[in-house]
Amino acid sequence: MSIASTIQRSQVDLQDFVDWSGVECLNQNSGHSLINALKQGYRDDDGLHLESDADEQLLIYIPFTQVVKLHSILFVGPEEEGPRTVKLFANKEHMGFSNVNDYLPSDSAILSEENLKGKPIVLKYVKFQNVRSLTIFVEDNQGSAETSKVQKIILYGTTVETTNVKDLKKIEEH
Amino acid sequence: MVLESTMICIDNSEWMRNGDYSPSRFQAQADAVNLICGAKTQSNPENTVGILTMAGKGVRVLVTPTTDLGKILGCMHGLEIGGEMNITAGIQVAQLALKHRQNKKQQQRIIVFAGSPVTYDKKALEAIGRKLKKNSVALDVVDFGDEEDGKAEKLDALIASVNNNESSHIVHVPAGTDALSDVLISTPIFTGDGEGGSGFTAAAAAAGGMSGFDFGVDPNLDPELALALRISMEEERARQEAAAKKATEDASKQETDGKQASSSRDVGMAEAVSSSHNDLDKKDDQMDDETSLLQQAVAMSMDKLAPVPSSSTVIADADMSDAVDQDLALALQMSIEDSAKDSSTDTEVNKVLGDQSLMSSILASLPGVNPDDPSVKELLGSLQRQSEDKENEDESGKKEEKQ
Repeated sequence: MSIASTIQRSQVDLQDFVDWSGVECLNQNSGHSLINALKQGYRDDDGLHLESDADEQLLIYIPFTQVVKLHSILFVGPEEEGPRTVKLFANKEHMGFSNVNDYLPSDSAILSEENLKGKPIVLKYVKFQNVRSLTIFVEDNQGSAETSKVQKIILYGTTVETTNVKDLKKIEEH
Repeated sequence: MVLESTMICIDNSEWMRNGDYSPSRFQAQADAVNLICGAKTQSNPENTVGILTMAGKGVRVLVTPTTDLGKILGCMHGLEIGGEMNITAGIQVAQLALKHRQNKKQQQRIIVFAGSPVTYDKKALEAIGRKLKKNSVALDVVDFGDEEDGKAEKLDALIASVNNNESSHIVHVPAGTDALSDVLISTPIFTGDGEGGSGFTAAAAAAGGMSGFDFGVDPNLDPELALALRISMEEERARQEAAAKKATEDASKQETDGKQASSSRDVGMAEAVSSSHNDLDKKDDQMDDETSLLQQAVAMSMDKLAPVPSSSTVIADADMSDAVDQDLALALQMSIEDSAKDSSTDTEVNKVLGDQSLMSSILASLPGVNPDDPSVKELLGSLQRQSEDKENEDESGKKEEKQ
């Protein structure tokens, strides 16, 4: 799929730029935490997933170690309990469920079955040019189940700061 | 030491006039609140505590979350009793106050004192509980007042719906027992999920009349003093153990030294040795620690006559012990007299040693100088090392002469 490859070509999995010490998730079930869906190794394990607790909504806060541009996002989840309506907020810190509806989301998406299988959702790139932190609000799930489950979350984008240091290292190695 | 922001919801309804908790429910509650505030601010200096009242004209926030304990305790004065407690509104306002806390890194906690009947039904309470859980707010409930009508069950259901990983607790305090605060001290509300607060509970227990402190000093009131006392106790103990060990070693060595001395020196010296040996035996009978130090001093005076490297360390120990000054001064005097006796046959070594003992006695008598001071110890040690070197030189010199 040439389109898919053009998407992937310039974009990098932003997992390396996530500031893990500040990652938060409201209303997550403590046994099934955000790390299960976000972190390398955990997210590939099918036995581990992120699950909500008291009701089906989830509020995920992901800060980055440097400023990034966000291109697309990918969710993998089960058919019934996977997220449906997802709202994304750039650079809004410490949001709560009460003020989620006070702000306009930078982008929102309604996930389809395909998306849940692994098709990334392309975002409004212009809105995500200067992202220090990302808040993902999962409003409801596919089958209106009691809890929402997310297997995997992958963020694709590029960093704004030049990655010269990394490139330099590579040159020196060879 | 969890970084936490706490809102305490106080019940100031008409039911709090009741005297079933001494002196009155309201007073007992106030004492408990004071203790909790102290415990929270102590377990982590960055913790904040706020207070609101649930009854009266309506829910009123007395103090927004702050680290200033004085402000918190001050607002507890002049509170009026009246009205009915509105627990749901109280919890919601508390949640709002926590939401606007300044340090977003703090965990959110609400502590509710429920001393009057709960008019809301279980469902409403559970809905509130779920909302708290969703926003990761922990809840502690102190159920007192001995009401009927299912209050305990409702509050249990509330806690069950909030509880996430055992962070929320409920305590039922029956009437007529000890003060409310005493009962609370042993609960997880105080001990804060296992850690922290335990140091404060010890202090609180002491305040309550039991003293569990070794030195009669409250570590919470004066931590530096308590620490200094503890360290000096340990040092003293270690020193005494070392001194006792050295004394037993020297007791065995002294006999051999005594023999050497008598064989290689004048009769006069042998007499001195034997006399001091007798003294030593006498002192052996006594069981004081000070006598062991005295033994060392005597050994020092004796060993000085027959220079052996180990003796210098004994001298150092004897000098640096903080035994009763009089006995030590006496022993040192003896050694000085001995050195004066031997001045005719004195080698340079003995002079130095004599000087050293003289110096140490002077040092000990000086008001400002503490023999335990490490710099003084170093000085004496260097002196001793010098004297050791001189001793060894002299010994080798003597051996050559003899041969």
